Amino acid sequence: MADFVMEARHVYKTYGSKNAKKAKQADTDIYVGAKQVIEAVKDVSLQIRKGDIKLIFGPSGSGKSTFLRCLAMLDIPDKGEIYLGDECLTEPGVDLNKARARIGFVFQHIYLFRHLTALGNVELALRQVLKLPKEEARKRALDALTEVKVTDCANKFPAQMSGGQAQRVGIARALARNPDIILLDEPTSALDPELTGEVIDTLRDLAKEGTTMLIVSHEMPFARDVAEEMIFYDEGKIVETGPPSQFFNAPSTDRAKQFMTRIINRTTRE
Amino acid sequence: MDVWQQFIILLEGVPITLSISLISFLIGIIIGLPLAFIRVYEKEVGFVVDAYEKIFRGVPEIVLLLLFYFGLRAFLPSIFGSAFFVAAFVLGLRSGANQSQIYRGAIRGVGDEQMIAGRSIGLSKWRTIWHIMVPQVLNFSTAGLGSEYALLIKDSAYVYVISLVEVMTISIQLAHIPPGDVVTPYVLAALLYIAMTFPIAFWLDKWGNRRKKKIGL
Repeated sequence: MADFVMEARHVYKTYGSKNAKKAKQADTDIYVGAKQVIEAVKDVSLQIRKGDIKLIFGPSGSGKSTFLRCLAMLDIPDKGEIYLGDECLTEPGVDLNKARARIGFVFQHIYLFRHLTALGNVELALRQVLKLPKEEARKRALDALTEVKVTDCANKFPAQMSGGQAQRVGIARALARNPDIILLDEPTSALDPELTGEVIDTLRDLAKEGTTMLIVSHEMPFARDVAEEMIFYDEGKIVETGPPSQFFNAPSTDRAKQFMTRIINRTTRE
Repeated sequence: MDVWQQFIILLEGVPITLSISLISFLIGIIIGLPLAFIRVYEKEVGFVVDAYEKIFRGVPEIVLLLLFYFGLRAFLPSIFGSAFFVAAFVLGLRSGANQSQIYRGAIRGVGDEQMIAGRSIGLSKWRTIWHIMVPQVLNFSTAGLGSEYALLIKDSAYVYVISLVEVMTISIQLAHIPPGDVVTPYVLAALLYIAMTFPIAFWLDKWGNRRKKKIGL
């Protein structure tokens, strides 16, 4: 078990109103009035080894982001287990704050702390979570900003940066405390097309250094180059898993085939 | 007594008026911020906050002042015997209820994403609130806090009922001096109150807007 940096076992997560949830448990109907229960994660299992780079892709609204949040315990799964190394995070009484300090998370909409500069954003976890002394925290924060090539933004506030710069600061924030794994939730999809390149380049650099990453993304050229495994996720489930070559040449499921055709057409049109 | 003399005498009340409103404003921050966060993030005990807000926003300040001053003096004369303390304390409790509502709106404005981002780096809920939410909530609330401060300056006039000597009390005394010019002291008091409320509210609003622009709130 210690082979895995992170592991999900039969994870479930449902969204909906309380009434709807009750109705669902009673196995009556998934609709109560107009309110729908969304089964974002249905029996999903996944293992990640050190140095793995895996990429999750699939239609929007299929529950990819929810699954990623469940892995970081930012959403608590309804059922199933999440392991970080040997530690079961879904067990009651686990110190989730400590666990989250070992998991880097990069958000689609970036979510930098708006009242802090880039440096402040990266430093905060080092000072307040890892409790590093001031100089060391500053040094490591600057190193992280250098690594993602945004040192020129160190003293800028998020509102003063471009989307691409902000997202790279977001990556530095996740990176600086040397997490066991970095989870990235569509890191480029909220950016203008011309800004996605710089973020993708940063991710390629991280990949070269052997950073363990689980990325939700639809950047197909990037996926083909760096992902060891691609995971096609639809309607709350992992539909197909395989190396990029499998998806780019001959996906084995029809759903994945359709989706790949559509996404590749879109990419070439652009 | 000419107008100028009256004005000089009134000015002697200004430090008390200002210090009551400043201290009660600070008490209001200390009470209001936790209440707002409890209300938003600890829903199980939210009803306590609700009850607190209803009581202190629902009961007139004069009633509260008299209740605390004459009611509690019997039990704790060392604390509640001081009219100044009771005044600052009561207005602070009331301001806490008001400020809690201001901050609650600001918490919504700042948004839950900031909370999630804070949790994602390993901060606990209350540490995220302290490091991430509180600075932004205060920035977000400046306009509301400006008018709350103005309200406190005005409400400090009520403390004449517990005979604390501030601007209002002095103007009443001046109006009672024979032969009885009942207009001038109150006009002067009105002008003084405007002078005390307007600049601070204006400055807070302006500073807040600049700051909000900078951090993109």
